Amino acid sequence: MRIIVAFLIPTAILAYILGLIDPGLWAKAGLNISRFIPLLGVRNDLWGDALTAVYETLIISVFGVSSGVLIAYLLAPLASPLLAPRTIAIAGRILANSARTVPAILWAILFVILVGPGAKAGALALAIYTSTYLAKFFYEALESVDRELLDSLKAMGLRGYTLAFALYTHIRRQIISSVLFMLEYNVRTASILGFVGAGGVGYYILQYLDILDYQAALTFVIAAIAIVAAIDTTSYTLRTRI
Amino acid sequence: MLAPTQNLVVELRGVAFSYGDKRVLNGVDLEISYGEAIAIMGRSGAGKTTILKIIAGLLKPEKGVIRILGCDPSNKCFDSVRGRIAYIPQTLGLVEGGSAIYNVLLARAYEKPLRFITGIWGKEYISKALEALEAVGLLEKARVRVERLSGGERQRVAIARAIFQGAPVILADEPVSNLDLETARDVVELLTGLRKRGATIVAVMHDRDLAQRHFDRVYILEGGVLRVLS
Repeated sequence: MRIIVAFLIPTAILAYILGLIDPGLWAKAGLNISRFIPLLGVRNDLWGDALTAVYETLIISVFGVSSGVLIAYLLAPLASPLLAPRTIAIAGRILANSARTVPAILWAILFVILVGPGAKAGALALAIYTSTYLAKFFYEALESVDRELLDSLKAMGLRGYTLAFALYTHIRRQIISSVLFMLEYNVRTASILGFVGAGGVGYYILQYLDILDYQAALTFVIAAIAIVAAIDTTSYTLRTRI
Repeated sequence: MLAPTQNLVVELRGVAFSYGDKRVLNGVDLEISYGEAIAIMGRSGAGKTTILKIIAGLLKPEKGVIRILGCDPSNKCFDSVRGRIAYIPQTLGLVEGGSAIYNVLLARAYEKPLRFITGIWGKEYISKALEALEAVGLLEKARVRVERLSGGERQRVAIARAIFQGAPVILADEPVSNLDLETARDVVELLTGLRKRGATIVAVMHDRDLAQRHFDRVYILEGGVLRVLS
C-alpha cells in the first residue's frame, strides 16, 4: 500500500503540471477518437509492400545485431580491467558508455546525413547502438566469472584476448541471452528509424500519415506489430531454453 | 615434460602475506625438489590456498624470497615460467560450455593463441590432448561438455590438462574435496603419479591418511608458518 501511495502522489502532481488533469482535454480526445475510428481499416492491395518493408526492417535489425556482436566481442575485453591494462580499460569503458547514451534515433539521423536516407543508414545506426549495449553486457558478464577460474587461466599464462575468448565460452549462456534481447530491441527500434529516413517499415508509416491515408498506415503498423511479436515470442522461447 | 634447470623447483624463504590487517603467512619456508609431491594441511583460512597462489605468481607476498623454477615471480624471467605452472583451484578452473578436450587444449592457448581462437589445432595437438585424456581414463568422454561430467571426471580433466600442459609444477587446491573415498584415492594416485612424468606436485589436502600415504612430505600450516608433519 505504501508503494502505491509513494507513486500515486508524484504521479498526480506531475499529471497536474503536465496539464493532464483537464476535463476539456479528455472531452476533446473523445471527440477525436469518434472522428478517427471510422477512418481506420486496412488496404489489402498494400500487403505485398508491407511485407517488403517488414523484410527490410528485419534485415536492418539482424545486421545491427550481427555486426554489433562482432564489435562488442572485441571491445568488451578492452573495457574490462580484469583483461586489459587499467588505463586502456578506463578509456574503453568511457568510450562504450558515452556512445551508449546516444539514442538509436540520433545515430540514425547522423548516418542519414553521412550515407543518405534508406536501409543503409538504419543498419549502421543499429550496428553502433547494439555494439555499445552488448559491450556493456559482455564486460559485465566477463567480470562476473568465478575468480578461481580466472586465477587458473592466468596461472597458465592466458592474457588479453586469449583469456577473454576462453571466458566467452564459459559465459556463452549470458551472451546468447543478451544477443537475443538485443534482437528483440532492434526489431522494435528499426520499426521507427524510418521516421527519420533510415529505412524500414517506419518510413512508409510516416509517408502515409503525411497524406492522411490512415488505412494504408494501419496496414504497415499491423505488419510491424506482427514481426515484433514474432521475434519477441521466438526470442523469449529460445532464452528460456538456454 | 619440461625439466627445470635447477634441482629446486619451489623455494620460499621467510614469506609473509596479509589480507588487510590479518596476517595469514608469517615466515613460510618451503623447499621442494624436482619430482617431489608434497601436501599442505591446516585449518580453513590458515593460508594454504594463499601459498599456492604465491607459488603460481597470482599473489605477491609482503616480504620473503621466492623462486619458482629458479625465477622470482616479480622478475621479467617469470614470463617464461608462466604456462609451465598448472594451478588447479578447488573449483577446478574448467571452462564450462567447453568439452573435455577443449579444456585440455586450453593449456597450450598461451603459446598458440591463434590456434586456440580459431579452434584449428591440427592433428599433432589433438592427438596429444587425446593421449592426456586417455592417461586419466577419459578418452571416450573427450567431446563431452565438462559440466555434464561427474565430480571425479572433472578432476581428471583438470589433471589431463596439467599432463598436456607438460607443467613441471602442478598446484592442486583440495583436489579431493567433495569426492567419495574411492574416487578421492584414484584422483590422488593419478595426481601423485605425475611425478613419474617429472612433475613436482604441491597439493592442499584435508584427508591426513590420504596425504601421508601418497605424498613424499606432509606439512601443516599453523600460525602462519609451515612445519613438517610427516
